[in-house]
Amino acid sequence: MAQNPGRNTGFSGSSQAATGRAYPNGNPALGYNPPGVRNTDSAMPLHRGKPVVHDYACDGPAPGSLSLRWTYGSNVAAKNRDPRVQVVQYNEDSFVLRQNVCVHWEAPFTYLLFGNKGALLIDSGATANARHYPLRETVDAIIARWAKARGRRIPPLTIALTSGEDIAQNQGLTQFAGRPDTSIVPKPLALMQRFHGLANWPSGTGRIDLGDRVISVIPTPGAHRDGVTFYDPYCDFLFTGDLLFPGKINIGNDGDFIASLERLKAFAATNPVKWLLGGHIEMMFVPGKYYPRFATYKPFERVLEMTPDLIDEALQYAREVKGKDMMLIRPDFVLFNGVSPDQRTSVWPEGVPNINPPRPF
Amino acid sequence: MDRRSFLTLNAAIAAVPLTGGALNALSHAASAATLPPPIDFKSSLPAPGSFPERWICGSSSCMDNDDPPVQVHWYNPHTAILRQNKAYSYEAPFAPLYFGNERVLLLDEGFVQLRNDWDLRGVVDQCIEDWCRRNGRDPASLELLVAFSHLHADHYAATNQFADRSNTRYMGLTHEEMVGFWGMTNFPEERVTLDLGGRDILIWGSPGHVVSEFAYYDSYTQILYTGDMFYRGRCYISFWEAWFDSMKRLIDFCDTHPVTHVMGCHVEISKDGEDYAYGMTYQPDEAPVQMTVQQLREAWAYAQKITAPGIYFTGTVFLCNQTRGTTTIDRNPYRYS
Repeated sequence: MAQNPGRNTGFSGSSQAATGRAYPNGNPALGYNPPGVRNTDSAMPLHRGKPVVHDYACDGPAPGSLSLRWTYGSNVAAKNRDPRVQVVQYNEDSFVLRQNVCVHWEAPFTYLLFGNKGALLIDSGATANARHYPLRETVDAIIARWAKARGRRIPPLTIALTSGEDIAQNQGLTQFAGRPDTSIVPKPLALMQRFHGLANWPSGTGRIDLGDRVISVIPTPGAHRDGVTFYDPYCDFLFTGDLLFPGKINIGNDGDFIASLERLKAFAATNPVKWLLGGHIEMMFVPGKYYPRFATYKPFERVLEMTPDLIDEALQYAREVKGKDMMLIRPDFVLFNGVSPDQRTSVWPEGVPNINPPRPF
Repeated sequence: MDRRSFLTLNAAIAAVPLTGGALNALSHAASAATLPPPIDFKSSLPAPGSFPERWICGSSSCMDNDDPPVQVHWYNPHTAILRQNKAYSYEAPFAPLYFGNERVLLLDEGFVQLRNDWDLRGVVDQCIEDWCRRNGRDPASLELLVAFSHLHADHYAATNQFADRSNTRYMGLTHEEMVGFWGMTNFPEERVTLDLGGRDILIWGSPGHVVSEFAYYDSYTQILYTGDMFYRGRCYISFWEAWFDSMKRLIDFCDTHPVTHVMGCHVEISKDGEDYAYGMTYQPDEAPVQMTVQQLREAWAYAQKITAPGIYFTGTVFLCNQTRGTTTIDRNPYRYS
């Protein structure tokens, strides 16, 4: 089986991270000055005399690490006392926020990116109630800290969704209503297209300029009719939402799904891509196994990040399920085409070890 | 005492007159002097009772759920119905607690195992204490029978919480021990009578959802407890022939015995017949747990027309005939063409 190498070299895939399990004490063979050290302009200067402006141009992906463990709920959801919004800082200008699975089982990821002239929030979580899911409060606090550390004013915020119709990602929007200096990409498909300048949907790309960090907007319908993928040229991430993530991918329209993956593949061929970051995790850490819907305790989740070779794999198997009502298991994702989201199958992919992970009770 | 004989032995003790010469009867007589007269469970039947308008049914955010781990509803002064909180387990099974003059029967023990996660044992002990206080009994004198409807973990997970409780028997987790617990030798046809002390529970086999399942009929409230083989939701039928025969047995029983309510272990359907998908932890508009005999008969009539595996809606319940391992009712809401 073509296992992606990111699985075997440890959790983060970042060269010298202490949590890279293969080399817990660092790997001398990689040298002391890997390319990433040239891209650390976002590290805060020790003594700043004037507002800090960043240089987001870099040779390779900006260094950063996702090697912390996500909170994973609890057997008795009512007794969970983990943070409602888990914040992981990938690097100084990129944050990953995750909703507690005991607040909502979808446990969606939300991304906050900073540029010199603005901040971008990608997706908004599955819960509108700010007492249960204080997304706005958390985002405001991160932005305030970010600005203060740099001696700058609060940057304007743009909020864009990987899909406007996805209720697992659009519920938190209401918390931002009335927030000053904030533009929210409208949910209806036509308005969203106009906002991003995607007149020839689904071809062409839009752009969101955060100030020296220009996020591309790629139309990727397929899971949702209004799905888009964001590309960050600084970290070299694709934010794929529900289109491609380590979980149960419910295909909304298989033709669009394949076309979008082809578009992503072409995009990844001309732009460097380090990881794909999706909207959820549903897979377990053993290949091809996943948590059921509505699960509130997921102690053995797969890591969030997917390597770009998985676009090819997804494309290959999406073509296989095209026009058929079926589900198809792969090591890092499962495709559901035209069947119930709870569909099951007795077909196990050839060559993939069938490991029974421990089940919580 | 031998598992198989304790049912009949208890009946024998009751038959010994209080002035009798038997040793244990003497001690009974001594304590009987201070006891209030036994409760009459046999006249003016069915005993009236009521179900709540609305059970606790989870919340949109599980970790913000303030409801108790177990809801206790007294159907009448001698019958409690327990329900697990959906934020503690999505299965949220119901569990009747029947009181008799000599023993108490608990049917089903929820889907969370450990006492520090949910204290089912404490809740049951409290119910018994409350009942004893109301009726002038000593809780230590009541035997507790911890049984379950069928051999699935969401119905026996907390059984071990009762392992160190005195004067308690609990059902074993194998088919043999279950059948032996009720002293049956001819499962599923044989119908046995459990005497809780003036209150008879009729028990017979009801396989189909699983092999090891019982139906329980309480002669006092005349509630027929049908476990997971027939409940207000998705009846996952693993073995059609066996389930069909079990339904026939239920219908025959209803033909010959008065039944006030048919009650299953779960609710997975809204008042409007909308399916709450497997695993959901919030059912804001859920249907009542109790069903009528008429609804059971309608399902039976419907079932007689079913010839192939699939999901069928009888108007009351979904009959998921051998579909458990393949599919469910709901569809991807974001599908478009």
